[in-house]
Amino acid sequence: MRHLLLTVRFFLGLVIFVLVLELCARVDDALSYNAPFWAPYNTEILYTRDQIGQRGRPGARYEKWQLNSLGYRGPELRPGTIRIACFGASETFGLYEAEGQEYPRQLERELNSRVGRDVFQVVNVAYAGETVPTATLRVPEIVAQIHASYAIIYPSLAAYIWLPSVREEPVRSSAPTTDASYTQVRFEWRIAKRLRNLLKQALPSIVQTKLRQREIKEAATQYPVMDRVPEENVLRFRGDLSRLVAALRAREVEPLLVTHATAFGKQLSESDRELLVSWRKFYPMLREDGFLDMEQRMNGEIRQVANQEQIMLVDAADEIPPGRKYFVDFSHFTTAGAEVMASLLADGLQPLIDARLPHGTPVEPSSPAELKKRN
Amino acid sequence: MLFTSYLLYASWGLRFLALLVFSSLLNYALGLYLRRRQSATRLWAGVILNIALLSTFKYLPGILSLLPNASLKAAFADIVLPVGISFWTFQALSYLFDVYQGKDLEPSLLEFLLYMAFWPTVLSGPICRLPNLLPQFRESPKLSIEDVSCGLDRICIGLVMTVLGQVLANGLHPGQGLDDAFHRLLPGGTGPDVWCLAIGYGFELFFNFAGYSHIVIGAARLFSIRLDENFARPYLATTPSEFWTRWHMSLSFWVRDYLFLPLAMVRRQMWWRSTALVLAMIVLGLWHKGSVLFAVWGFYHGVLIVLHRKWQQSQRRFGWRLPGFIMGPLSWLITFGAISLGWILFRAGTASQALTMLRVVVTPSQYVSPVLPPSLYFAVFACVLGYFGTVGVTSLWRYNRLFKLAPELRVALYAVAVYIGILHAAQTQSFIYFQF
Repeated sequence: MRHLLLTVRFFLGLVIFVLVLELCARVDDALSYNAPFWAPYNTEILYTRDQIGQRGRPGARYEKWQLNSLGYRGPELRPGTIRIACFGASETFGLYEAEGQEYPRQLERELNSRVGRDVFQVVNVAYAGETVPTATLRVPEIVAQIHASYAIIYPSLAAYIWLPSVREEPVRSSAPTTDASYTQVRFEWRIAKRLRNLLKQALPSIVQTKLRQREIKEAATQYPVMDRVPEENVLRFRGDLSRLVAALRAREVEPLLVTHATAFGKQLSESDRELLVSWRKFYPMLREDGFLDMEQRMNGEIRQVANQEQIMLVDAADEIPPGRKYFVDFSHFTTAGAEVMASLLADGLQPLIDARLPHGTPVEPSSPAELKKRN
Repeated sequence: MLFTSYLLYASWGLRFLALLVFSSLLNYALGLYLRRRQSATRLWAGVILNIALLSTFKYLPGILSLLPNASLKAAFADIVLPVGISFWTFQALSYLFDVYQGKDLEPSLLEFLLYMAFWPTVLSGPICRLPNLLPQFRESPKLSIEDVSCGLDRICIGLVMTVLGQVLANGLHPGQGLDDAFHRLLPGGTGPDVWCLAIGYGFELFFNFAGYSHIVIGAARLFSIRLDENFARPYLATTPSEFWTRWHMSLSFWVRDYLFLPLAMVRRQMWWRSTALVLAMIVLGLWHKGSVLFAVWGFYHGVLIVLHRKWQQSQRRFGWRLPGFIMGPLSWLITFGAISLGWILFRAGTASQALTMLRVVVTPSQYVSPVLPPSLYFAVFACVLGYFGTVGVTSLWRYNRLFKLAPELRVALYAVAVYIGILHAAQTQSFIYFQF
């Protein structure tokens, strides 16, 4: 009887422990981010879906990620500014940088400090996981909303590893649809995410790599494993990129192409190999060395498109030093990495800006009426 | 337990583990050698070997970086400081000193390996002594409810303290903590700002390291091992000497027992005892880091203790006496202020930064409106007030009575402490003393 009582008390203690942890997590979220106490709280809050795919939910906030009333990460549009749109995926949207330190925000500060006035506004129109074709489909809507003069295109290349993820015949409408996944009320343990993160930090990298390799091995049984990305995929990427450039130019938006930078240098260290494994976890169908080959070939295509279309090119792949100072993982920036990227882009935009803002001449930015007329 | 200790240490790097095992085997052999004949030569051989090992990793890269020879610099550029090396080297030295002093210590090889690598203390102390641990290692482990609950209490208190340290370091708002203040906000700082930084950093260090010590002592207690205390309400000290019997006690007692006392006994004159004291404190400073600032910090504390002794002698000689209700608070205030100013030397990035800060403190015209953010003042003030408030309450109410709660409520408090200490702070937390 005594043993039974002890066992019951032990399990009661365990239940209390877990429930109080969960309570703490919810109070923490509410105090830190004004998060709802009962409703689910995860990245889904940031997104809604339309017929093109995922898009930002206007005014949404999740932890450090705050979207404006148009559903783009960053502040509201300021009237009377020269606007630069940043197209891309998670590297552009910003994952690991401190709040307000993703490269579009840093670029805006850099440009404005160079001219000494609040003339430029950089609008981050990227979302995590956005592909070049979906960005192309959104161009009319984005240009109509933000009246961009320039567009920076920093495409994520990995979507082209597996072609089915890039739709061949995309839908033409962008009317919002009901987002059932988020509105549906369901319980989720908020403490679970924190425990998972803690475990990731606590486990030695060698153990984490072994676990990832095991997962990859299991997942790879479902796909034909490739040594390198097929040429067809690379050509598709090139075609999609050209279409995005054409869509922007058709609306008098001057594009600037940026090659894709990664954490990998010419010589791979042991930790680089571990990073490649962690990248492959998302695309088990491509062997580790295939990622490096893909970056090289697709960056080559970006350079060629820039050359062919006479577009300004910022060669971030060549200019940003590899290593963990500038990259948290295989391709996402640290705050310092985003700073380097912003500085490179500001240099790249300088000729375009000089042409628009003659040195020493105060130029009034376009008025909303002019912008309306232009569009 | 040895296997767990090595597994933990290996997670920081297999090379570090190899070095720890090498040092343990070397010192065990040196101990056997010394036990056969307790000669000063044999002891010195052991001391030199340990200091050489410590210096190779801790001091040599810093010294070589000052030299113009590029090839030498490059050769030592890749040396990484093994975590906890200062702690376990001093443990090894204390073993050799104890053997030399004829203490009855005959650990087996496994016992000695465990003493050097004992998992709660191997990373960041407290610096243990074999006479305290050996009998406990030899006892068969008996898990008692008292040990478990006391261990969990200590771990939870430690977790909350380390979070307080983190709050001071990072601030209540991003970019408004002590770390940022030392890096960015300092130029143009006024007298009140420097005092706020000095006092705030003293508390940050205290919460961080004393919190860590609580966790370590609690973790060891879960295995029925009682470690010596490392902190005893240091900011209540009313003299600099007393402060060093309350702050990082495992290190200060080590320096007292194995450095100051043997040195002081070389000559009987007063000037020599004062010199020995200052020298011992300089070594204590250099133990933290081989830099001029840490040597100056140690020297500063040595001078403070010597000055306090001179003051006591003068009091006795001339019969100076103030009423206790004036003398007590005054002594505390002077000690607290002097200790706090010392933290500037400990924390400043460069000697010029330290000098600038100290110059501001002694310049009356610098006592104008503060430039540091009000939230930093609030955080420091709240932590200082909270510390003295808690110390006051726990003095009136005995520790055991305070924590005699229903087990379910106790579990809930553990969960709160685990959340704020681990799950919330896991992203940014680091222990300052890991770097030593």
